[in-house]
This record gives sequence, structure tokens and C-alpha cells, in this order.
Amino acid sequence: MAPIWLDVLDETARLCVAHGRTDLLERLRQKRAQLLDPRLRVLVIGEPKQGKSQLVNALINAPVCPVGDGPTTALPTVVQHAETPSAVLVRSPLPVAGRPAADASRAEDRIPLPMEQVATGIGGKLRQRTADESVHVEVGVPRALLATGLVLIDTPGTDTQDPARVMNGTVGFARADVVVMVSDATRELSVTELNLLLHVLQSHPHIIVALSKIDIAPQWRAVAERNRHHLANAGIPAALIPVSATLRLRAARSNDRDINAESGFPELIARLSRDLSRKNEVLAGATAGLTARTVIEQLAAPLRAELSTRDDADDSGPMSRLREAQRAVDELRRLSARWQNSLNDEVTDLISDIEYDLRDRTRQILRKVDEAFDEADPVPAWETFQEWLESNLVEAAEANYEWLVQRCEWIAQRVADNFRGYGYDAAPDWSLTTPQDPGSHLSAIEQPPVDRFTPVQKVITGLKGSYGGLLMFGLATTLAGMPLINPISLGAGALFGGKSIHDESRSLLKRRQAVAKGAVQRHVDDFFIKLNKDCKDTVRNVQRTLRDHFTAVTEELQEAIVQSFRTAKQAADADAVERDQRQRQIEQQMKRLGALYEQAQELLTGRATASRVPLGPRV
Amino acid sequence: MSGMDRLDESVWALLHEALRVYQDSPRATLHLRHQLARFEQPVRIAVAGPWQSGKSTLINAILGEEVAPVEVGDGRQTVTWYEDGPAPRATAYSAGGVVQELPVTRSTRGMRVELSGPRPDHVTEIVVKWPSRTLRHMTLVDTPALPAGAGDDGRADGGDGILDDADAVLYLTRDARDSDLRFLHRAQEGAVANAAPVNVLLVLSRADEVGGGRVDALLTARQLARRHRRDPRVGALCVSVLALGGLVALAGRVLIDGDFGALAVLAAMPRADLEPYLLSTDRFVGPAFPASLDAGLRRGLLERFGLFGVRLATTLIRAGFDSRPKLSAELVRRSGLTELREALGRYFVDRAEVLKARSALAALERVLRAEPRQGSAQLSARLEQILASAHDFRELRLLAALADAQLSLDAELSAEAVRLIGGNGTALAARLGIDYQASIGELWELGADALGRWQDHSEDPLLNLDQRRAAQVIVRSCEGMLAELAGGYPPSRVQ
Repeated sequence: MAPIWLDVLDETARLCVAHGRTDLLERLRQKRAQLLDPRLRVLVIGEPKQGKSQLVNALINAPVCPVGDGPTTALPTVVQHAETPSAVLVRSPLPVAGRPAADASRAEDRIPLPMEQVATGIGGKLRQRTADESVHVEVGVPRALLATGLVLIDTPGTDTQDPARVMNGTVGFARADVVVMVSDATRELSVTELNLLLHVLQSHPHIIVALSKIDIAPQWRAVAERNRHHLANAGIPAALIPVSATLRLRAARSNDRDINAESGFPELIARLSRDLSRKNEVLAGATAGLTARTVIEQLAAPLRAELSTRDDADDSGPMSRLREAQRAVDELRRLSARWQNSLNDEVTDLISDIEYDLRDRTRQILRKVDEAFDEADPVPAWETFQEWLESNLVEAAEANYEWLVQRCEWIAQRVADNFRGYGYDAAPDWSLTTPQDPGSHLSAIEQPPVDRFTPVQKVITGLKGSYGGLLMFGLATTLAGMPLINPISLGAGALFGGKSIHDESRSLLKRRQAVAKGAVQRHVDDFFIKLNKDCKDTVRNVQRTLRDHFTAVTEELQEAIVQSFRTAKQAADADAVERDQRQRQIEQQMKRLGALYEQAQELLTGRATASRVPLGPRV
Repeated sequence: MSGMDRLDESVWALLHEALRVYQDSPRATLHLRHQLARFEQPVRIAVAGPWQSGKSTLINAILGEEVAPVEVGDGRQTVTWYEDGPAPRATAYSAGGVVQELPVTRSTRGMRVELSGPRPDHVTEIVVKWPSRTLRHMTLVDTPALPAGAGDDGRADGGDGILDDADAVLYLTRDARDSDLRFLHRAQEGAVANAAPVNVLLVLSRADEVGGGRVDALLTARQLARRHRRDPRVGALCVSVLALGGLVALAGRVLIDGDFGALAVLAAMPRADLEPYLLSTDRFVGPAFPASLDAGLRRGLLERFGLFGVRLATTLIRAGFDSRPKLSAELVRRSGLTELREALGRYFVDRAEVLKARSALAALERVLRAEPRQGSAQLSARLEQILASAHDFRELRLLAALADAQLSLDAELSAEAVRLIGGNGTALAARLGIDYQASIGELWELGADALGRWQDHSEDPLLNLDQRRAAQVIVRSCEGMLAELAGGYPPSRVQ
């Protein structure tokens, strides 16, 4: 029966195919092959001069890795079982994006090396490695420990603060099941080492920290305690095993069981053997769980991103077009209210302005007439006056009308401006009904009835006046013995007669002037009323024309906009349905991923801790 | 040397002029006055290095007494100055300007400082006065460990300040890895530092742990140091690389009779009996130990000597160093401390004037860069002029170039050149390669001979331009030496 982890891995692989992520598939395939491989690959990492190579040598009791006082290990060394000792230098091009890894393995370049050179450090001489190839040494030695399926990988010391660089280099190449970090007991784990461990933990769940060189560090127990504390604080579930390679090698030489036990290596070997025997269940489970989890997270990431962008994706596509159309409809509604208001307002203003203007002009004419008739006698100049009045009135009417036309055009433009955004800002073609010659409104002004001062009236008036004067002075002079008719009384009579004639003629003039003024006033009033009526009619006409025109425009626009609104709405509805479908699809996929993730998590943590809150992908 | 005096004087004059220019800036004035005051003081040597690289052990080994470290609560360290003084005294300076006298307890091996007081975590600096002949010529500065990642992001807080404030740096490392080199590289910024990278000594501390503490660990470490010295990347960053078994050195310097007695008992045991118990520390202090030595005493030995130290000491006692002074001297010799002290003397104490002038110039450069103003342009021009023309710097630059093997002179010439420009010590005898008390006449003869030969080299058409320029620098050095000889004595006697 295939173990559960294999199911999980295969299911993950299927999902990868379903999601079209073949790049991830390659990794899964590799991992699957690695996990099915019964051998246990142990990667030994650590900072320089911690005793990594010595640890490997001590594990198998053979000097296969170069050990020296300066930095010695230059190339990763893979130590595995072989019937006869052998050493091969392997150059393999790094898998380049776009080229399947199968090709890369075929292009491997294997150079046999003399066995005795290996331990003395071949690495240094073969250091030149190009950027696109990875070089490592494969050593085979006949050892019982290795025969069980243990593969040890020794690496050059990592002297960098950037854990990612280490990962991309050796760790990636090693495809390790277990990582052993070597740190010497003369000091506690440094921050850099802890960072490296945290980074390794992301892809390799099984980590062992080997505290090396405990033979020369008197305080190693305290250091180990502090290191366990550091590991726990950093959340690294790594076992810490204190070892001494010196003691182990010494024990191997002298075959001393006690010393071997003191070296701490039996514990390390027991641990590795246990991992090896349980590889298929626990170890592979955890690794598969971690791998599946990583892959699932990568699969879920784009879906999650799609879901989250979906919420704000409305800015483009049908939904936004619908909203745009809605906005256009509203805008048009506002516009139609706006232009009607402005037309009404403008026309009201126009009417009042025009009326005022006309009244003002006629007033001025009347004022002039008044001034003229205060002095002049209307009778003799009536003809001239009539002409003057007529021409003035016509002039006023024309000026007024001209202004009216201008104002109407201006109003039309003003209203049309509202439609500028729609490209309809042209004023309608119209013809102002030109009123007939304003003069025709005028009935000819008739001459007012005038009392003329005839000579007979003058004589009678003169006589009436002179009679009083003659009598007055005649009586007075009789007292002086003079006859009633005498020169004095005659003179006075003549004087009085002249005066009364004069008075009479003046009052007659006044009367004539008043009559003329009244007549003119009436005439001008008539003119004003008629003309005003005409103007108002014209304005009303204009208003009606404009209203009809722009109503038509508005309706046309509305039709177009409503049409587009309807289309947009349909599109949006269709889109919403599609989106809902896609959403459901993604949710389904996410659910499937989530379930798989749970399974992977269970594999990783073991059943015991399965009750921990799952870090499932956010759906 | 006359050249050195001139450098000294011109830097002094330049600083005074800078003081005049910056008289209204209290910060700059304080800074410059500080530099002027330092001319009178011993050369300041900062001991820097990553965490647990053996800084305090090194200071103790140099002083021969256990005075370091002074810890400020919870293992935190602070900058600690060790200066010469008539009586042991320790003063703590806190961030708020609080000055506090600390009680000092003398012990058989050195002293302990009790850090009491209300807020030990606010202490920023501790100054320890300690009566010691060594400190008469140098002030040692124990610095807090460089934070992890200092090599990669460069600007480590604190670390830079210390390197700026010190005239010279002893940089300690376990294995001179790339991150250490990167840190040193970053620390040498600025025109002055670049022009004269001569104030760093790289020390492979904890040499006794090389190769898992084999008996030949110190020898191996010395070879490693030599290999590093020849590495051009390392050579460009420091004057020299030395190996030091700090624990052994300290044990040798403070070896007490009790410890010697215990070691003698161990050495008296048959080698085969003892050896299994020297395999590991656990075995050494374990209950099965055959000799009649108290477990506490054994633990003490281990603490002070390390397992390697015990192995070495027993081997040495068997080899005939069977008295306390003999063993002590041999331990010191083997540990590399002697060479370190010689190097300190040759590279730092002998050249104190140059190093201080260099520090002053670097400080002035920082002031000029931080507060540019009217007149500062002339000052920086003068600074550059001094930098370019001072013969001492030229010697140092040439020394660096020779160490870098940039000139590709043949080995013999190169060695002589290094010697003549003071690479092996600036004293006349050292420059002329004489290690006995020579008479003036002999010195004159040697000097004149060197002058003649290097004059030939400077005009040799077979050498390239850089090599001829180097020869000119050496000619100038020789002339300076002759002038010193002539100036110090009446000419008639010299001839």
C-alpha cells in the first residue's frame, strides 16, 4: 500500500498540472524520487572551521574529506557506499530555466580522481568553477554505516550573512533528507547561524545541530544548554547533539568503547539510523508534507491574488461601463433641468430689460417734446414736429429691436453651451420674425384742435379791455372838469385794450401747448404698448423655438445614452454571472487546496499536533 | 626623523588654523581641541573584533594582569579605556553626564571592578587607571563585540565610532574570514584612511584552538598567519597578521606557584597514564583522574590554561622548562605574545607621532566634511597637500604597496626596501638592518651605501615607472637618515 504522503504528493502534482504550473511539477517529481529513494541523504553545513569535514570523517572512521587548519573544503563532497574506494569529480551544468533537468543530468562530466588525493584536498586545485555549472566530488568507501543507505554530504563553510545565498548554492544541490548544522562548542550559536537554520527549516524539516569540539571546551555543557535555549526561542525544532570528532577518531584507533561513547557519535549515528529506518514513514511524511505545503502555497497565491483583485477589479470591464452609463444618464437629467432653467431665467430677464429699454427711450422722447412745447407754439411747427417725432420713435424702436435680437442670440448660445459636452452646442437655425416697419404701428398723429385767435376776437377783446380803462380814467378826469372822453382816458383805454389782447393771446397759447402735449403723450403711449407687445411676442417666439430645439436634442441624447446604459447593463449582468462562476470555481479549487494543505500539515506535524490551528490558505 | 617632525608640526599648525576658522562652532572646536590634546597622550589602540574573539583575554595578556573585562550588567559590554595611573581606579561615565567612581578590588591576578550604582545599563564608558609600564606608551581600548552582520551592512553602531577615535586598531578574529575583511574594508573610508591604511593589525586570536587543540596548534596558527599575510586582499587592509594563543599567553604571564605545582605533578606522571585524561575536558576534570589533584584545582587549571594549555605546559615541563619563570617565559614565547608586543611597538608605539597625525587629519577631514564653510576649502586643500607630500605617509603607502606585491620588485630588493622605509621598525638601526649597537660611522657607511644603490635604482631604465618612483621614496628616506646622523653629531666626527 502506498503511504499517505505519496498520495498527498501525487495529488499535489495533479493539482499542479490542473493549474498549469509545470515548473513546480519538476520540483515535486524530484522530491518524490528522492523520498522513494531508500537512502538517507545527510547534508552537513556550518560556518568555516567548525569541524564539518572532521565530523564526516569521524562518522565513517575514514579520512575522506580534507581536514586542515585553514579553510580547506572547497567543493561539496558526497560520501556514499561503494565496494571499492573510488572518487569522482562531477561537473554538471546548473539547470537553466527553459531546459529540462533531464538534459542537465545527461550532460554531467565525470572525472575519476585518485583516491589518495581526496583527503589531501583536491578541492583547492579544482576551485575554478564557472557560473553555470556546479562541481562536486563523489567519494565511495566500503563502510557498514554507509551500506545501510546513508549518504553524507560535506560542504564548504558558509561565510555570509545572507542565508538565501547558501541555500541556492549547496543546499539546493544536495536534496537532503536531514541537515546537520555543525557549530563548535567554544561559543554559542551566533545570530548568523540561527538565521541560516531558520532559512533551512523552510525546506528541510529535519535538522540536527551537532555541537562539535566538546573535547576542548570545558564549558560545553553550559554552551549546549544555552544553544537549546536559543533554538527553542527561535522556534527551531532541532535536536542538539554534542560530539567530539577527536575522541571518536581516537576511539577508532585504539578500539576503546568508553571513549567512543564519550565522543557523542553513537548518539548521532543512532539518530541518523533511526531517521534512515523511518524514512519511509515519519521523515518522508514530514518532508512530503512540507514540500506539498510549499507547493500548495505557491498554487494558492495567484488564486488568492485573483480573489483579492477581483474586489477592486470593478474599475475596468463591464461593471465600470455600466457605472459610466448610469453616470451619463444622471448627468443628462441634470442637464435638461439646467438648460430649461437657464432659458426661462434668461427670457424673463430679457423681457424686463427690453421693456425697460423701450420705456426709457420713449420717456426721453417725451421729455424732449415737453421741453419743446414749453416754449414753442405747436401750431405753426406742427408739420416739422410730426416728422421729428416719427423718425425718433422709429429710431428708438429699431435700436430696441436690434438689442433684442442680440440678446436672443446670446441666450441661444448660452443654452447651447450646456450641451457642449455632447457636441450639440450649435444654436438652432432660426429666423426672427422681423416686425413690420415700426412706423406702421403709428397711426398718424392728428393735430389737436386748436383755438385760434381771430382778428374779430382780438377787436372784441381789445374793446372789452379798453372800455374799462376809458371809463375809469374818464370819470376821474371829470372831477378835474374835463369831459369823459378826453385824451387821457382815451390813452388809458387804448393801454388797457392792448393789455387784455396780449393776455388773451398768451392764455390761448398755453392751452394749445397743453393740448399738443397731451396728444403727443397719448400717441407715444400707444406706440409703446404696441411695440412692447410685439417685442414680447418675438421673445416668446424665440423661447418657444429654442425650447423645442433643445428638447429635441435632449431627447435624442437621452435615447442614445439610455441605449448604451441598457447595453452596459446587459454586459454587466452577463459578466457578473461569469464572475460568480469563476469565483465559485476558485473557491472550489481553494477548498481542494485547503484540504490537501490540511493533509500536508498533518503529515508535517504528525497526528499528535494535528489539533494545532491549521494555517490553511485563506479562502 | 626630521621628516616626522615636520609632519607633526604641519598637522599641528593646520589644526590651529582650523580652530581659528571654526572658532564660532562649539562642536567643531571641541572636536579639534580634543585632537590637539591627544598629541600629548600615548597612542590609543582599540581592540576590536567579533563576539567571543578573545578581546579581553588579549588585553589581559598584554597587561599581564586580569583586568578585563568590565561587564555592565547582563553580559553587556561597554567601551572600556585602560590608561596608566598611579593607583588602580575605575570611573564610569553615563549617558546623562553622570560620573561615578567604581570600587576596585585587587586580587592576586589582577582586579575586579564592582559595577554598582543606580543605573548600570546607562553607563557608556568606563575609564580604568592601572599602574602598568605597558600603558605608559599606549592606551588600550576594549570595545564591545561587533554586532553580527557588521561586515555586510558596514555601518555598525558603535564600531565605527571606536575606530574613528582610536589611532590604531588590533582586529581580532578566529579565522580571518571574509566578513572580517569586509568589515575592515568598510572601516577604511575617507581620503586619509585610504592614503595611509597602516593602523590595523590583524590578530588570529584563539590560535590554541586551531586543529582541535593539537600540541602543534600554535605553530600551525603561525603558518596560517603567514599565509594570510601573503594574501594581497588581507595585506591591503592591515600592516601585518599575527597569531596569538590568548589563553596560553595570559596563563604564562600570570602563572602562579600553585598552578605550576599542579602542572609539575601532572608532568611527573608517566605520559601513557596521563594522556587518556588529556583527551577531553570531561576526562580531565572527571572523578577517575589518577593523580592526587583536587577536582577544583583541575577545573581551575582548565579554566586558566585551556586543555591545549595544559597539554602544552606538561609537555614543556617534561622538556626541561621545569621552573615557574622558565615555564612562564616559554609559554609566553610560544603563545605569540612576544611577537605581538614587538609588532605593537614597531608598528604602533614607534610610529605614534605619525599615527596621531593621521588620526588628527582624519578627524579634521570629518569636521571639514560635516561643516563646510568659508575657509574650509583652503583647509582641505592644505590637508590634501600634507597628505600628498608628507614623507612618512609616502613611506607607509610604499610599505603597503610592497606588502601588496604590486610593484613586482624581486624579493631581495623588496625586503631591503621594506626595511629601509621602516617596515621592520623606524629606529635607525632597524632601518639599516643592524641588530647590535653600531657606531655612528658604521651607520653612516651603511646609509650612504644604501643611498647610492637606491639612487642607481631610481635611474635604472630597466625598472618601470612605479618601481623608479618607489626607489625615489627610498632615496628620500636614506637622505633623511643621513641628515639625522649628521644633525645629531658634529660633522667632523661623522666623517
